[in-house]
Amino acid sequence: MTAFKRIDKQSHIDRTKLISFQFDGKMTNGFAGDTLASALLANGKTLLGRSFKYHRPRGIIGAGIEEPNALFTTGIGGRTEPNTISTTAELKSGITAKSQNAWPSLNFDLMAVNQLLSPLFGAGFYYKTFMGPFKKSWMMYEPIIRKAAGLGAALPDLDTARYDMRYMFCDVLVIGSGPAGLAAAVTAARTGARVVLAEQDFEFGGSILSSGSEELERWRKTQIAELEKSSEVRLLKRTTAQGIYDDNLVVLNHTPESHSALMITEQLRARTIIMATGAIERPLVFANNDRPGVMLASALRTYLNRFSVAPKKRAVIVTNNDSAYATAFDLAEHDVAVTVAEHRSALSGDLLAKAAQLGIAIFPSCGISDVVGEKQMRAVRLSGRHAVTIECDVLGMSGGWSPAVHLTSHGGIKPKFDEKIAAFIPGGFAKSHFGAGAVKGTFGLLAAIREGEVAARAALPECKKIKELDLPAIREDRKYSIQPIWNAAEKANEKYAFVDFQNDVTVKDIRGAHQEGYLSVEHLKRYTTLGMGTDQGKTSNINALAMMADLRGLAMSQAGTTTFRPPYSPITVGAIAGRTVAAHFRPKRLSPLHDWHVNNGATFIEAGLWMRAWYYNWAGNTPEAAYIKEMELVRQNVGIADVSTLGKIDVQGPDAAEFLNRVYVNGFAKLPVGRARYGVMLNDDGVVLDDGTTSRINDTQFYMTTTTAQAGEVMSWLEYLLQMHWTDLDVHVTSLTDQWGGMAVSGPNSRRALQLAFPEIDITNEALPYLGVMDFKFEGVGVRVLRLSFSGELAYEVHCSADYTTALWEHILNAAAPLGIKPYGLEALASLRIEKGHVAGADLDHRNTLDDLGLGKMAGKDKAYIGKELRFREDCQAPERWSLVGIECMEDGAKLRGGAILFAATDEIKGHGRGYITSVTWSTELNKYIALALYNGGMKHEGKEIICAFPLKNENVKARIVSPHFIDKQGERLHA
Amino acid sequence: MLKRISALASAVSFNGNDLSISESPDFALTQYAGAEKELKKALGKIPARVGVILEHDGRIQLRTNPAQIWLIGEPIEAEACISTPLSSSRTRIALQGKNTRVVLAKLCAIDFHPKQFKADMFVQTAIHHTPALIHCFGADDFHIYAMRTFALSVWEAVTDAALEFSA
Amino acid sequence: MRVPCPHCGERDVAEFRYGGDASKMRPTHDTGDLKQWHDYKFVFDNPKGPHLEYWQHVYGCRQWFKLNRNTATNEIIGGEK
Repeated sequence: MTAFKRIDKQSHIDRTKLISFQFDGKMTNGFAGDTLASALLANGKTLLGRSFKYHRPRGIIGAGIEEPNALFTTGIGGRTEPNTISTTAELKSGITAKSQNAWPSLNFDLMAVNQLLSPLFGAGFYYKTFMGPFKKSWMMYEPIIRKAAGLGAALPDLDTARYDMRYMFCDVLVIGSGPAGLAAAVTAARTGARVVLAEQDFEFGGSILSSGSEELERWRKTQIAELEKSSEVRLLKRTTAQGIYDDNLVVLNHTPESHSALMITEQLRARTIIMATGAIERPLVFANNDRPGVMLASALRTYLNRFSVAPKKRAVIVTNNDSAYATAFDLAEHDVAVTVAEHRSALSGDLLAKAAQLGIAIFPSCGISDVVGEKQMRAVRLSGRHAVTIECDVLGMSGGWSPAVHLTSHGGIKPKFDEKIAAFIPGGFAKSHFGAGAVKGTFGLLAAIREGEVAARAALPECKKIKELDLPAIREDRKYSIQPIWNAAEKANEKYAFVDFQNDVTVKDIRGAHQEGYLSVEHLKRYTTLGMGTDQGKTSNINALAMMADLRGLAMSQAGTTTFRPPYSPITVGAIAGRTVAAHFRPKRLSPLHDWHVNNGATFIEAGLWMRAWYYNWAGNTPEAAYIKEMELVRQNVGIADVSTLGKIDVQGPDAAEFLNRVYVNGFAKLPVGRARYGVMLNDDGVVLDDGTTSRINDTQFYMTTTTAQAGEVMSWLEYLLQMHWTDLDVHVTSLTDQWGGMAVSGPNSRRALQLAFPEIDITNEALPYLGVMDFKFEGVGVRVLRLSFSGELAYEVHCSADYTTALWEHILNAAAPLGIKPYGLEALASLRIEKGHVAGADLDHRNTLDDLGLGKMAGKDKAYIGKELRFREDCQAPERWSLVGIECMEDGAKLRGGAILFAATDEIKGHGRGYITSVTWSTELNKYIALALYNGGMKHEGKEIICAFPLKNENVKARIVSPHFIDKQGERLHA
Repeated sequence: MLKRISALASAVSFNGNDLSISESPDFALTQYAGAEKELKKALGKIPARVGVILEHDGRIQLRTNPAQIWLIGEPIEAEACISTPLSSSRTRIALQGKNTRVVLAKLCAIDFHPKQFKADMFVQTAIHHTPALIHCFGADDFHIYAMRTFALSVWEAVTDAALEFSA
Repeated sequence: MRVPCPHCGERDVAEFRYGGDASKMRPTHDTGDLKQWHDYKFVFDNPKGPHLEYWQHVYGCRQWFKLNRNTATNEIIGGEK
């Protein structure tokens, strides 16, 4: 009982290349040039799916991107692709296609029972039906409905395809390669301009491919040949323009013929864009218009002329416009018996004459009242005066043509309604955007060619010198004539008259939405889900909107359209990700010592984009165990840590000191040469921006360090101040973060370690006191030693250029090996500084002021600095602001946790509390858990007992407020 | 002598179809700022605008911003200028071959058409979210100066983009 | 969106960092005037339409400059170095 057959006709398939593929487990054949759809039709397959909600039998409706029904899951495993549009899928050897949304089979689908329940499944049914009996009942129904919903399924397998991406530029982008697009591209190419021609299909030619005209085919081939010869033309078949963005950025998805990547996403900057995207045929709406075998009239013509697939015996065509007669005549010329149900009462003479010549019967003032047959249509009942039943294999319907205006409205210009052609056309074009052909409502082929040339001339003034193209020698364009029929269904059958095939939305649903007050097109869409499927309503939007306009008594121009947004057609997520997946997702920032850490037992942790050595396996195999050993090493002996990630900035110039003096809260103008100073900088609003240590190298040169996290921020801030505001200051800033690597050598034996490493250099306490800075050369390499301590122990930082950092690090390790020096990582580094009470990233959260952090006394009283004024605004000085305290745990065996919320001992554990813990560590010196925290009123509450609440783990731990400086309060170790 | 180790010490050169990618190490890079008159005296001429490149006396000069000039090659004595050694701060990657422009176009939103980006031009832009400088010194010859700490990531991004040209 | 850097020419917006409103004069560094700084930092118009603002070409020449941009359409109306 098959409705179609392959006929012996010259077309765009290549019968010398047989292609085998699998459909629902069975092997079938087609030819090169077929789509999956045309091959299935040729093999007599018309029942190809089950509809979304009602599981009604469905077949192919169209021949292009507008197809709502014939979607299949293709591919296997990591290359499974649900919802593949069969009408655009190029037939390739080895394709495995499976129908969707039917179980156990297309022919016998259990879920078809939904049809019986259809009165319950009207638009918005889930909002109205699944509401009780309990308040949270929806949570129970939802998983069941969710399982039953959808067409294709996305498998959890990893997508194994490679997707690539590129940036390109051109002078003219032509979107669409039908007559208008080809004409525009050829005209532009003749000037030598950089032209890109993008065509969604796997062949150039657009509507010409369906024409069956030898002359048009000749013309098509001539244009393509010319374009292929031009070196500045890029011809992109299988390329969909998905969206147009600001400044003429167009995103294209290109499926290359043979490439390491499955798909290439291109971000194209085009100086001008010519949109020749054509038009899409509208269905007519009548009862059972969704039966397999009911198709768009133009699709029947495409299957005939492009793929040599024709209806077996008889076709009925139902139409309200002249264009469907092209199909009627072509079918008749290929031995198909054709009958036309013509909605209009009068028809032009030439059409009547040709029909008579071909033996085509036309019934005027007549539509379709019903379609007979469920899994495959077999007859139609005419409506109107001639209530006749006609047996046929297929029904071709044409409700008119809708220009594909989507891309033209991505920039925000809404389409406008053209009464003459009963369709929406572009409401206008942005500067440097142009349209040509059917997209503008110009349906004549010769006129489209001329419009393409005009568009090219408008886009590229140089085209004015190019002479007009030779037109194909075909008949003059017929005028497009249409009588709009938006709803041809009889009232009694409206619940079987489909408007949106993919989402199963009927005329009844639209009426229902209107009755319930969902009147605007935006509400209609979202309430009924019309136009929300993978086809984005390409065959349903206009009919629906016209019906709603009619119900509301509005003109079409008043009803408006919904907003067209990218993408134009479905894109797989992989294509958007491109190459930036897995290891390539983000850049990794590596210290110059990275390879050494890898080779010496380090486990890494991410700190922003940096990979930092977290702990080393000499100390233990878990972070909890290792960091304690590493801390002990530093407190008792000497350790070496990688501090290369610190931001480092060279600040030089006659006004460098003045500049730093303004930026830091404390004084830097009088910092002696060879000395470092801890500095804090505020933002204009008085909140702490960053802290660091800055050293004076000479009168006009400073070496600034920042926190790792804020290095980029601070650099941009300094550049901003110097370039936009303080242009009178003669200062240059340069980032040295990459130029220099750095290591901290810390512990009571750190001086001895450096003396062993640099025996020629005087590193005694006198030569290099606390906060001293010294530059010298070691084996030809410049080394800078800064006596700074983050840990609170006697410590030094050793900096040198990054290319030599590893060699210097190894040298120090070797030289000081007799002392037992070992590396320590970020965890220990952080814990040591907590014991010492140094604030760091976790505490500098951009809400805290100098006073909050207990650093208020640092700020110079008599000097100006950034943030000085707003630091004293009321809110920043409020007495109950939280400020920095130390916390020690009072419960044996209990832990303190970062983020724990703090309460006074007598508080109810509820609400926001009085503060929170910012940094925690196990103190090896005090043998207990300690923390830094922010607490309302801060050190005023020293000695008091508090509760640290951590609701995520149901813990309430007793603790006490103490000084944040847990060890060596007098700084004796620092000055050793 | 202390050993000099580059950020791409463990990277393996890429040799593909009309495309080779390798590290081009051991260059001297110095940045000069301020006292441009003196710098001009010392060098003879200096680039006037951002984006201009001059090559003479075995040195390449690139003006990277209105107040700074990069010198690649033997540093010059110019006392009044602020000279900042930056040889370790960048890692240099060399790309050579007919397919280089295809690879570069995958990495940066810059027009690499041979008429738009040709010999003796350079551009400062981003590669894989990191700042990079790309110098064209021949029809199909390029140097990328990547930040040292990002060198391996940039290398991986570039060689991954070059995958389609694997031999 | 493309942003015209006064030194490097038009580039993709991803190469830049946005710096906020540039329509007000920064108070001189040592005014000590709380109200002046308050108005500068916290009171501004936030217009829908032309807006003078700071941008930095962070992945290029690292220069800051001002641009007049229409906040509703992203059209660049003009700029200054």
